[in-house]
Amino acid sequence: MSAPATLYVGFLVAAPLAILIAYSFWTQTYVTLDKTLTLQNYRDALADPLVRHLLLRSIMIAGAVTAVTVATAYPIAYFIAMKANKKTIWLLLITIPFWSSYLLRVFAWKLILGFNGVMNSALLWMGLIDEPLTFLLYNEFAVVLTLAHAWAPFAILPIYVSLQKIDPSLLEAATDLGNSKFQAFRRVTLPLTIPGIIAACLIIFIPTVGDYVTPSLVGGSDGKMIANLIQVQFGAANNWPLGATLSLMAMLSVGFVAIVLVITGTALGKRIR
Amino acid sequence: MTETNIIKLRGVEKRYGSFTAATGINLELKEGEFFSLLGPSGCGKTTVLRMIAGFQEPSEGHIEIDGVSMDGVPANKRPTNMVFQSYAIFPHLNVGDNVAYGLRGRVAKPEIEERVAEALEMVELGGLQKRGATELSGGQRQRVALARALIMRPKVLLLDEPLSALDKKLREQMQFEMRNLQQSLGITFVMVTHDQYEAMTMSDRIGVMFQGRLMQVDTPTMLYARPCNREIASFIGEMNILPAAVQNEQAETSMTVDMAAFGKIEIEKNPNVTNRAKNIIVGIRPEQLEISPDKPADYPATLQGTVSNVAFYGENVHYHVKTETFEKPISVSVPNYFHTVDFQRDDKVWLGVQGASVIDLGQDKQ
Repeated sequence: MSAPATLYVGFLVAAPLAILIAYSFWTQTYVTLDKTLTLQNYRDALADPLVRHLLLRSIMIAGAVTAVTVATAYPIAYFIAMKANKKTIWLLLITIPFWSSYLLRVFAWKLILGFNGVMNSALLWMGLIDEPLTFLLYNEFAVVLTLAHAWAPFAILPIYVSLQKIDPSLLEAATDLGNSKFQAFRRVTLPLTIPGIIAACLIIFIPTVGDYVTPSLVGGSDGKMIANLIQVQFGAANNWPLGATLSLMAMLSVGFVAIVLVITGTALGKRIR
Repeated sequence: MTETNIIKLRGVEKRYGSFTAATGINLELKEGEFFSLLGPSGCGKTTVLRMIAGFQEPSEGHIEIDGVSMDGVPANKRPTNMVFQSYAIFPHLNVGDNVAYGLRGRVAKPEIEERVAEALEMVELGGLQKRGATELSGGQRQRVALARALIMRPKVLLLDEPLSALDKKLREQMQFEMRNLQQSLGITFVMVTHDQYEAMTMSDRIGVMFQGRLMQVDTPTMLYARPCNREIASFIGEMNILPAAVQNEQAETSMTVDMAAFGKIEIEKNPNVTNRAKNIIVGIRPEQLEISPDKPADYPATLQGTVSNVAFYGENVHYHVKTETFEKPISVSVPNYFHTVDFQRDDKVWLGVQGASVIDLGQDKQ
């Protein structure tokens, strides 16, 4: 019975990963591959300050995106789960951005944030600024904003589900035992939604570290991330082994951060009594 | 037990849009009594409890607890604590932290630990502080919910169908335990239940509710012996209801009624009945009817019939006796050790009843 799953995981996850790992120990010699096993790629990557810089920045940006997205998603999820009457309609509305292409949404942000964009035109027209603001686009801020918007539903849904599961009588019990609404939220709702928050964080953080479309479109040179460098290795630079090495390094860093996140998140939740 | 009123409900009504969940509730609960609100589901008993707890505000009327008006006082500021039907045990906290929940931030830590240990001891869960909330059995969850509420030293403990989630054996055991606990603590317990036996075995007094109205408030004994109308008579235990005509009202407290084929009999006037006319209904408990093969002597009212159904319950036997006069068969219950003659289906039998066993139920509204 588990055969289809084994095949699926084997072909679609394990095999590609194995190929990637193999590549990372090989060397590109112009057009051919030298398949002698070597750690040279790792040495090169670790020695390169650009790699470290981009990796760190990717994690920082992904962290910022995760924090902003989850912080804005929580109140929305809370509203839908606890207050809204027509939950289905609200959930449908939240998924509407998915009806258009992700690329189009990134371009839309370009139009909004650009030098002659919607934002600057509006501010100029209102007379609030004399010349267009340049800090809106082509930097980390633009990347965080665009991604936070794009990921919102991915954060709202798991948090919504965890809120939905809370038995309302638990909150009544907290009130009955003397808690104000806010205390009941802090001591009951919040700890019970920590699994949802952690899920939302992972869903957003992991793919964001590896995102390269958004940084290349709205990030400018300040907003470049590790995936942009990886893309170059597999493309213009034609150095697949180095690209594979960088990919694995990014993967390990993300895995490490994710594990730390899960452990600290769970531990923090346990401390609330 | 002092005679102070701890809770007063005056003209309390609760409406949801056009639906009236409870209306005209006037009730005074004595300090230290075990009071049950009994009624079928949807009768408004839980609404009344939730209004006392402060989860719902009355649409009309006022609630006083310990002499203080509860108008506008939120649930977290009321001297009441509640045991929820689902027990509402916090799943992310262990037993100790669940019980300590209401004390955190108000009482010093060593005192919290002491009181938690004491409360768990009281509900016979001593030493289980570290047990996870999800590792508890139904009965243990109920005990944790009790300890968590009682640790707050409430003036009134509210219990919403506290035993409905337990199996029969455990329920019976908990009935006695809760009763003992209530008596040793001297706290007023207000329990909502749809189970008449639960209400009867545990309570000092019972308030029976039907369709949002409080119909009768009385002790279990009086409720069983002197129900005020047909609904309560048939809700509390089993009751044979027969039409009767009042012949003469000789005295203040008694009257002669004509129970059709059963004949005339002198019965006591039910003080709980408010509307009495010429044609009334009377009730006879199945266990208070005599059943015998020959016409029983010493019974002022007798009637012949045919056994139409026999049900063996172990401790007693139920017979359904079909008579020519009455449309519904008459139900008779006989203790197992007591009867020497086993009746079979289609046996001809005689029924007999004493005047003291015939309950005046007043004019029938139906």
